[in-house]
Amino acid sequence: MKSISARQTGIILFLTILANKILLLPSIMYEKTKADSLFVMFLFFAVELFVLWIFFALKDKFGNKSLKDVLQNLIGKSFAKFLLFVFLIFFLFKTMLTYSVIYVYLKDLVYQDEFGFLALICFLPVVNQGVICGLRAMSRSFELFFYLVLAGIIFCLSIAFFTNVSFPYFFVSNPSQIFNTWFTYIFSFGDYLVLFIFMDKIHIKKGEKKKILSFVFLGIAIVLSIFLIFYCKYHDTAFMHNNALADLLVFSVQFNAVGRLDIIAMVTIMALGLFQMEIFQFAFCESFVMVFPKLSIKYAVAVFDVLFFIVYFVLIGKYELMIQLTTEYLPYFAVISNYILPILIFALSFKHKKEVKDAKTI
Amino acid sequence: MAKNKVKNIINKFKKEFHNSNDFASRIYENDKQVIGMLFLKSMTNPDLFSQTIYMPIQNFQDKIDEKSLLEKILKNNSIEIIEEKDIEKNILDGKVVIFSDSFDGIVSVDILSFPSRTPSEPPTSPVIQGPREGFVEDFKTNLTLLRRRIHSKDLVFQTLIVGEKTNTKVIVSFINGVADKKVVEEVKKKIQSIKIDGVIDSYYILSFLEKRPDSLFKQIGNTEKPDIVASKLLEGKVAIIVDNSPIVLTVPFILMEDLQSSNDYYTNHHYSSLVRIIRVLGLMIAIIAPGFYLALQLFHYNVLPLNFLITIANTTQGLPFTPFLEILFIFLLFQILYEVSLRLPSYLGLATSIVGALILGDTGVKAGLISPPGVIIVALAKIALYTVPEEQSQITVLQILFIILGGSLGILGIVTGFVYIVNYLNTLDDFSTPYLSPYAPRIANDLQDALIKQPINEMKSSPQSFPNKNKERVK
Repeated sequence: MKSISARQTGIILFLTILANKILLLPSIMYEKTKADSLFVMFLFFAVELFVLWIFFALKDKFGNKSLKDVLQNLIGKSFAKFLLFVFLIFFLFKTMLTYSVIYVYLKDLVYQDEFGFLALICFLPVVNQGVICGLRAMSRSFELFFYLVLAGIIFCLSIAFFTNVSFPYFFVSNPSQIFNTWFTYIFSFGDYLVLFIFMDKIHIKKGEKKKILSFVFLGIAIVLSIFLIFYCKYHDTAFMHNNALADLLVFSVQFNAVGRLDIIAMVTIMALGLFQMEIFQFAFCESFVMVFPKLSIKYAVAVFDVLFFIVYFVLIGKYELMIQLTTEYLPYFAVISNYILPILIFALSFKHKKEVKDAKTI
Repeated sequence: MAKNKVKNIINKFKKEFHNSNDFASRIYENDKQVIGMLFLKSMTNPDLFSQTIYMPIQNFQDKIDEKSLLEKILKNNSIEIIEEKDIEKNILDGKVVIFSDSFDGIVSVDILSFPSRTPSEPPTSPVIQGPREGFVEDFKTNLTLLRRRIHSKDLVFQTLIVGEKTNTKVIVSFINGVADKKVVEEVKKKIQSIKIDGVIDSYYILSFLEKRPDSLFKQIGNTEKPDIVASKLLEGKVAIIVDNSPIVLTVPFILMEDLQSSNDYYTNHHYSSLVRIIRVLGLMIAIIAPGFYLALQLFHYNVLPLNFLITIANTTQGLPFTPFLEILFIFLLFQILYEVSLRLPSYLGLATSIVGALILGDTGVKAGLISPPGVIIVALAKIALYTVPEEQSQITVLQILFIILGGSLGILGIVTGFVYIVNYLNTLDDFSTPYLSPYAPRIANDLQDALIKQPINEMKSSPQSFPNKNKERVK
């Protein structure tokens, strides 16, 4: 089996945690809980780390078994298919959300006018190709681009940090507001669920969990830094800046000799968006193949494209609708898929004996 | 009756060789016996034939038999006893076949001789320091060049014949105990399965060795330098030497190999590292510079420095072409000049440069057909391309692709195009070797000879990007 290494798994987690949290989220969360949104993020990450811990525990217990096999062992075929179908829906909308966030950014700042089909022409074939190339090829690409993406983000943060920044006021929201915000934007999280979907393709040697965790904590640190510097920079006007990472540069010090530097943010955001879409679409396609085992990944990609077009015409063109969907209706769904299901699988796994097999990693 | 035997054989082969002009037969006849000789005049030296074969036979007083032929008359030659079915092959290999009515055996004498080039510095890979020898068309010379560098009984050459009409010798070379046996077997299996009428050059078998022959990207290494092949053999790679070709193929291949040059190993490693980084930058500039310039000009002009933006606005004002067509036009012009300069006789080279650089370039700008920034960007990309000349053909195609992507979709097109290509490259893993290693996947051990090069004494172990058996190189 073509599996991926712990380092590649870590990089996947690093990339998934970034993309849709560094553009729109800091701005719209500020509307609800001001700078205390940082505490909401802490809460989010604490829960995400708990989900990651559940994954490690399941991986220890079931070795290189696929999620489908694990679920079939624990709850039987029919329920297993139902749960996989829930994941399938979750990843369809996760991909849509990522796409719509990137779409809005590019439309607002770069292309204006009729950008919809242009973006589709750009994104869909590349994301489809990435998924068809497979997890190993994708993760190798992520490995190659990792330092470039990291350098891009650190550059943006550094430029913003060395301009005029001051701490905002914290502790202005009460716990219920913080919890309410957490619930509202819960659909933007649940990124680590991808690991469950291709758990059979991940090969973690003894002692390599630390390697994965180092990438996870790096990702978390970067997201929190972006939130903090963004709030330090814009304070009460933060809600007006919809593209956090890019806006950190746009309204920062200008270097006349080299022009505007937000092209670095632009390239970083485009790459991140593409990578995250690839990961989520791959998770969708893997779930699809597990639900419909007779169909290949190419069918899954075709089905995704059809659904994508349908949802695109209904939602993505009107991004307020997408935001409304993910903040008003999908949070209930996200609580189930992000947290209840992993906990349920974990609880059921106690009745199962430990099973470890080796996988080949190149 | 006995005399007829010799004549029959001669007639038979004359007929089989269709009375070809260079097919020669000689009969030496005396009262004791008749001896027949067959050979190709085009593949043998006539003086050598006369001095080492015909005259000694003529001067021999007694009756000639197999024993006297081998031990006395032709004892200073390379001789072999062959069967009748092998006569044709031996004649084609440039040997003289001797037979007689007085003995049953058939003797083959090797006096192969044909015009051959002496090893010289290959024009495609000149070096400032280091060995200057290059492979030639004669495979025996090429084997000698390798054997001279690797004095080891473990260096193996295995000959396979490919091509129904050409019967070309393809030699698979590897170091036993260093190369991975599976790779060697896979290479041999692939070569043995080739069904083709003829192999003129090593490129004829290239596509049979590649996992994806329809791919734009090269998957097999090639070089004209024996020192490079020797070092690859030491790493555990397999070399494929084809008779009549100065280009030797090596497998497995990774992209990083083309970013390395033999010069890197004969100069200071700090300098080598710097040059390698410059090559990567050159490669990137060559691929995306024209497309990136178009993207900035058409979609993201606000990120350009104001002074440069004003220059572009001034110089592109009034041009008959759109920026996209302008860059395509300049690109096409450069490509035409390049093709012309390759094919024109050298004495016309100066004239081409004058026409290309002065008349087409300068006058084109003055006439308001093309803009100076456009010419500079395309020229920069074209020059940068030769930092990695081995990838020239692939990069040229990619340049066009990125011009189209940058011109139609802006930076987004370039980023998506780049991700698409990298994803694709990551699916190339011939002979269990990831194409973009040691960076994707990251193989820490091999980073010692990647973009940053360590001194030779610190390269303790063999590369791990591809299968090989020699784990320890420096002890």
